[in-house]
Amino acid sequence: MSTSRRDFIKTASVAAGTVAISSALPSWISDVEMAEAAVAAAVDKNALADIALSTARKLGVTYADIRINRYRTESISTREKQVQNVSRSQNFGFGVRVLFKGTWGFASSREVTPEEVRRITRQAVDIARANSVYQRKRITMVPAPKVAATWKSGFEKDPFEVAIDDKIQFLLNLNERALKTNGVSFVNSSMGFVNEQKFYASTDGSRIDQYIIRANPNFNVTAVNRANGDFQSRNSLGGPQGLGYEYMEKYPWMAEAERAGEEAVAKLKAKPIEPGKYDLVLHPSHLWLTIHESVGHPTELDRSLWWEADYAGTSFLTRDKIGKLQFASKMVNFVADRTQPGALATVGYDDEGVPGQRWHLVKNGLFVDWQTTRDLALMSPRKKSYGCLHADSWGSISFPRMPNVSLQPSAGNTTMDDLVAGVEKGILIYGDGSYSIDQQRYNFQFGGQTFWEIKNGKVGGMVRDVAYQSRTTDFWNSCDGLGGQASYEIGGSFNDGKGEPGQSNAVSHGCPVARFRQVNVLNTAAK
Amino acid sequence: MLLSEQEARALTEKVLGYVKANDAVVNVGSEKYSHLRFAANAFTTSGARENTTVGVTVWIDKKRGSSSTNEIDDDSLRAAVAQAQDLARISPVDREYMPSLGPQVYKPVNGYAEATSNISLHDRARAINDVIANCEKAGVIGAGFHQARGSAGASATKNGNFSYERSSLVSLSTTARTPDGGSSGYFLRNHFDVAKLDVKRVSREAIRKALESRRPRTLEPGVYPAILEPQAVADLLSFFAFSFDARSADEGRSPFSLPGGKTKVGQQIFDERINIYSDPWNAELPGSQAAQAGIPAQRIQLVRNGVLENLTYSRFWAKQKDKQPTPGPVNSIIESSLSPVSLEDMIKATDRGILIGRFWYIRGVDPRIALQTGLTRDGIWYVEKGKIQYPVTNFRFNQSLMQLLAPGNVEMIGVPERVGSAEGQGGSSSLLPALKVKEFHFTSASEAV
Repeated sequence: MSTSRRDFIKTASVAAGTVAISSALPSWISDVEMAEAAVAAAVDKNALADIALSTARKLGVTYADIRINRYRTESISTREKQVQNVSRSQNFGFGVRVLFKGTWGFASSREVTPEEVRRITRQAVDIARANSVYQRKRITMVPAPKVAATWKSGFEKDPFEVAIDDKIQFLLNLNERALKTNGVSFVNSSMGFVNEQKFYASTDGSRIDQYIIRANPNFNVTAVNRANGDFQSRNSLGGPQGLGYEYMEKYPWMAEAERAGEEAVAKLKAKPIEPGKYDLVLHPSHLWLTIHESVGHPTELDRSLWWEADYAGTSFLTRDKIGKLQFASKMVNFVADRTQPGALATVGYDDEGVPGQRWHLVKNGLFVDWQTTRDLALMSPRKKSYGCLHADSWGSISFPRMPNVSLQPSAGNTTMDDLVAGVEKGILIYGDGSYSIDQQRYNFQFGGQTFWEIKNGKVGGMVRDVAYQSRTTDFWNSCDGLGGQASYEIGGSFNDGKGEPGQSNAVSHGCPVARFRQVNVLNTAAK
Repeated sequence: MLLSEQEARALTEKVLGYVKANDAVVNVGSEKYSHLRFAANAFTTSGARENTTVGVTVWIDKKRGSSSTNEIDDDSLRAAVAQAQDLARISPVDREYMPSLGPQVYKPVNGYAEATSNISLHDRARAINDVIANCEKAGVIGAGFHQARGSAGASATKNGNFSYERSSLVSLSTTARTPDGGSSGYFLRNHFDVAKLDVKRVSREAIRKALESRRPRTLEPGVYPAILEPQAVADLLSFFAFSFDARSADEGRSPFSLPGGKTKVGQQIFDERINIYSDPWNAELPGSQAAQAGIPAQRIQLVRNGVLENLTYSRFWAKQKDKQPTPGPVNSIIESSLSPVSLEDMIKATDRGILIGRFWYIRGVDPRIALQTGLTRDGIWYVEKGKIQYPVTNFRFNQSLMQLLAPGNVEMIGVPERVGSAEGQGGSSSLLPALKVKEFHFTSASEAV
């Protein structure tokens, strides 16, 4: 929606009430937006922040913040020629986090009123106070500058302004393209969009408004051989992005659906892989997930400190390995980046007022730094927060979450063909498939969507039932070829789980095509 | 505060009153949730959340639209209904539309404890302090998670049905690690009643496993006989009862499919002692009074004496296939037809094998045979000549669930215990036994602790 129209609604709703103007606008937009406008008019976030922060201060906290957030989601799902679901949701509320005697307390509510803000702030302090009696190690935060800012993610076309029937037709057209190939039995497709409207205020004096859009399209094609009971699926190679509806318009979804249909059918007849050691050429649509699991998670400092020991696990990267461990071959550079355009974890500021930043985790193959937050910073070599605190809802306590972590392309113009040309016996893998990694991030196993035999420097026929197993540092040290910028693509996860209670994080991983030597490959169909 | 039945009824009636569509279902849910987390023998985060959500699905000339909101003032509720109706108007016809249910009769389930929902901050802080103190005393580093939830929800239809129920859940997990990072132990239990959560047992078992896992030896991966403790069975199988979908089996894309569009119903797919069923009124594991789409839940048998007795039919698929929609599952129970065997007796009966406490990061690899990959974690031991000999380092496995439970592979079945999947953080519950199996497929070693 344009600013002028939103302003019109906001002004009109305050002046005339929702009923008076709703008939002047398209009904499905106006009713909802009128309600939003009415709530927005009723909620003075700065005034509520003043209440929370002054109440917390009076109760003796050393730090407090309040987040008042609205989340809008839209989801459309289809199968074959029919629509299964069209839904929209709204979720609005606030959470207050306090640090009292070195102990965190958090409380939250969906009732965004001055009285409730007072009650919930007191509750957050009560929780911290009750626990502080037994606290053994006080939590300390590094300071952050006072910030007054607004920030909007870099989308071009707000998906919530695109007509639903256009989106439905898009998915049904996509299904039709996937079903074109003889032998395709089923196709499921969906698109989901999220809009986060986040307000943050803290006892540091910061006040930050952020408006973020993310897109999550997906499809899956299945071919069934009824005669022998076999079935094979092919998921989309395109994944979620920190973009608006322009992503649906610019990415070649229709051609990709048609190719997926052909490949799902081809997988039924593909040659089973012979287990053994292979060189792997990994397309970015596949490699992003390996980066996520084997590089993104082990470089989280909270894991190394055993703060995640009870759930996600610890990390093989211990603090003594900084600057010493040859994590990968020298051509490999991993950069953490909360400023990367179009990426899912890109923000202006994190959930404790620290600006988005870009820094190396692995430089020339050497492990050099961590992902940090203000309460982890003092335990990191540079004693600084890189702005990695995030909560998935107003009702969730913020805690360390992964920024975008990306493998940098080589300086030259190396192409996939160049990398394939250097392989005698190998496999080219597209798309993310089955994935699993241990709790310290040593041992992993990844599948994929399509697998192609490489023989004597050339890509041959399709093979199937492929998964590779390796050990993180062995794998990354076996990397001997990286594509140039032209081969760089961004993949990502819309729902990366971590923490107790479990929270979801959207995060991207960019990478070029890359080559790895002598990796152990299994045939997953072999019993 | 959780919604009372009267409040929930008033709220659903109000929302239905705004509906102009031909048909509608309104769901309301209120939640009171809190947690305390600890790590490195100190409290890390602790918090609370209160929320109420309203979801409405409408059909206009069989065209469907849904919306939900947690703003429950009259204007917001009207807007949510208007949005669902507008989405329905522009949607194509829902070919799988089934009219919402008329009035149903429910047999209540007792799965709510007020003391869980209103857990005391001070009691919890003291209890977790005791867990940490036990860890310190044993010389291990503790991490863990305590959560408590009270929920109250209602569902109402334009055709006159209304159901309301409350539930609660409390869980505690603890991981104990030796300071050198060389060994680790884990234990998790949950219940709907905080009075029945054995906090001392959780910390005792986690610490014991960590201490008994010190100085592990490395074994070659391969096929081994194995004893799976109830937690390990929960990690692999707690969601299995929810995968018996008839439609995917009929469509040829399920481990229960047969060539030619047939299914394995009536076939002996598992060991003849294996029974898999759902029972809403199990006293230890109460389910929900309402199954899919609000159908009153019933006890349903999926596998009886190893024979696949039933697949589960949605209302739509049941109509297509001239079957009754399945009133479940609403929980998951696996038990033996014969007398159960204790874990101690399983160990005594083992000539050579691996004892597994839990699994981690389990993901599907091949849906045709329900092949899963994952790893052992936090306690795994080599057993020989009826005794635990020594701890061993972790393995990755690639194991078909169909093969795991197949005739000839299951040797002994234990006493079902209330357990929750560790990856699910104890939020789900099942009654599952320990299992002794002839073959378990480990494919590589992991040095992770």
